[in-house]
Amino acid sequence: MALVPSGDARAFEVIFDRHGGAAFSLAYRMCGRRAMAEDVVQEAFLSLWRNGARYDRARGSVRSWVLSVVHNRAIDVLRSGVTRESRNVHDDGITERLEAPERTEVEVARRDEADHVRGALGQLPTEQRHVLELAYFGGFSQTEIASMLAVPLGTVKGRMRLGLTKLRIVLGDPADALA
Amino acid sequence: MSGPDCSVGPRDCGADVPGYVLGALDRVDAELFRRHVDSCAVCRDEVVALTAIADSLALAVPQLRAPKSLKRRTLACIHPDACAGPAQRPAWLRLGSSRPAVLPTVSIGRRGALVAGGLLAAAAIGVGGISLASRDANGIRDLPAAVIDQGRFANAVLHVESGHAELLLSRMPAPPTGKIYEVWLERHGGEPQPTSALFSVTSHGAATVDVPGNLTGVSEVLVTPEPAGGSLVPTQPPVIVAPLAS
Repeated sequence: MALVPSGDARAFEVIFDRHGGAAFSLAYRMCGRRAMAEDVVQEAFLSLWRNGARYDRARGSVRSWVLSVVHNRAIDVLRSGVTRESRNVHDDGITERLEAPERTEVEVARRDEADHVRGALGQLPTEQRHVLELAYFGGFSQTEIASMLAVPLGTVKGRMRLGLTKLRIVLGDPADALA
Repeated sequence: MSGPDCSVGPRDCGADVPGYVLGALDRVDAELFRRHVDSCAVCRDEVVALTAIADSLALAVPQLRAPKSLKRRTLACIHPDACAGPAQRPAWLRLGSSRPAVLPTVSIGRRGALVAGGLLAAAAIGVGGISLASRDANGIRDLPAAVIDQGRFANAVLHVESGHAELLLSRMPAPPTGKIYEVWLERHGGEPQPTSALFSVTSHGAATVDVPGNLTGVSEVLVTPEPAGGSLVPTQPPVIVAPLAS
């Protein structure tokens, strides 16, 4: 990662190889359309290429940083207002066509991590899990979520806090998983 | 731990931490919270702790391979010959959350507007018109537009369908007092032509603006702040440039 700010294209390619799949997976989960997800990932990686110097190793792993850039970019796109109505339409068959292979120990470990996080999410009460998913994967603001669920804003904030706190207890230090 | 006691602040301290780390605060609330965190050690610590939790949610999605075509076109874009690479890309041209806080030095006036528009368009085509545009099977396109110096979350998309375009804005600041936004059409190499589209935005920064006229030959849709009633030539640099990819 240290070589990317100096314009090392090979280093950039390595970063893409390592984290492009996770980035695309997150973008596709959020956008629901392959073309849109690809656009989000491409723009996010180009942003990393342009702004790689901003990466601070002390503040998290490269993977975490990449995914946060993708997440922010996807939120920007989702909140543009033109995609919201139709983004629940997922491309048929894409998960089968592009399902990540598990050829290495790292890939197997990541599958296990995904299972662990999904399991932790599954342990949450439905209403807490729901607001977390609407916010993180749906890109909705807490005000929008309160309106959608017809509950007070304070209730949404409370559910978010409870949900994250419980996840923190179950997951421990997730920074290890994101390394 | 340093910083003031969180409980004495004017905010409902900590209540916005979950929304902040999940990206669920509105633009204004996010900015207010960022300022608050700068001076509140309690919230700062909580943000650090909960950010790690929120980030872990990304791991929960089914893992897919990145399409090979995506890697190819992404890598192609970092080579200067393929498209505007980082060294050549104007630092002030950013889409989405990377938008600039400061407009580049552009002389105010008609030529300034034209120069800014032309430069933006040339670069934005490399970013938005190609890399971000989406097109469905019916030829409907959503073209992201460059939004200049209008805040981090301001967003503009040009929706093109059957030769007609709509500009969809979100989180766009209101025009300056006494001004109104005006839509212009620019054809390749020509002067921006005024349209009848004058608009402001809602209190939430939203607007849906019909772009009048035929888009044939139009290379860019521009928006500038103009005196109430509109202008016949741009008097300000554009705040939105939407390149129309062919």
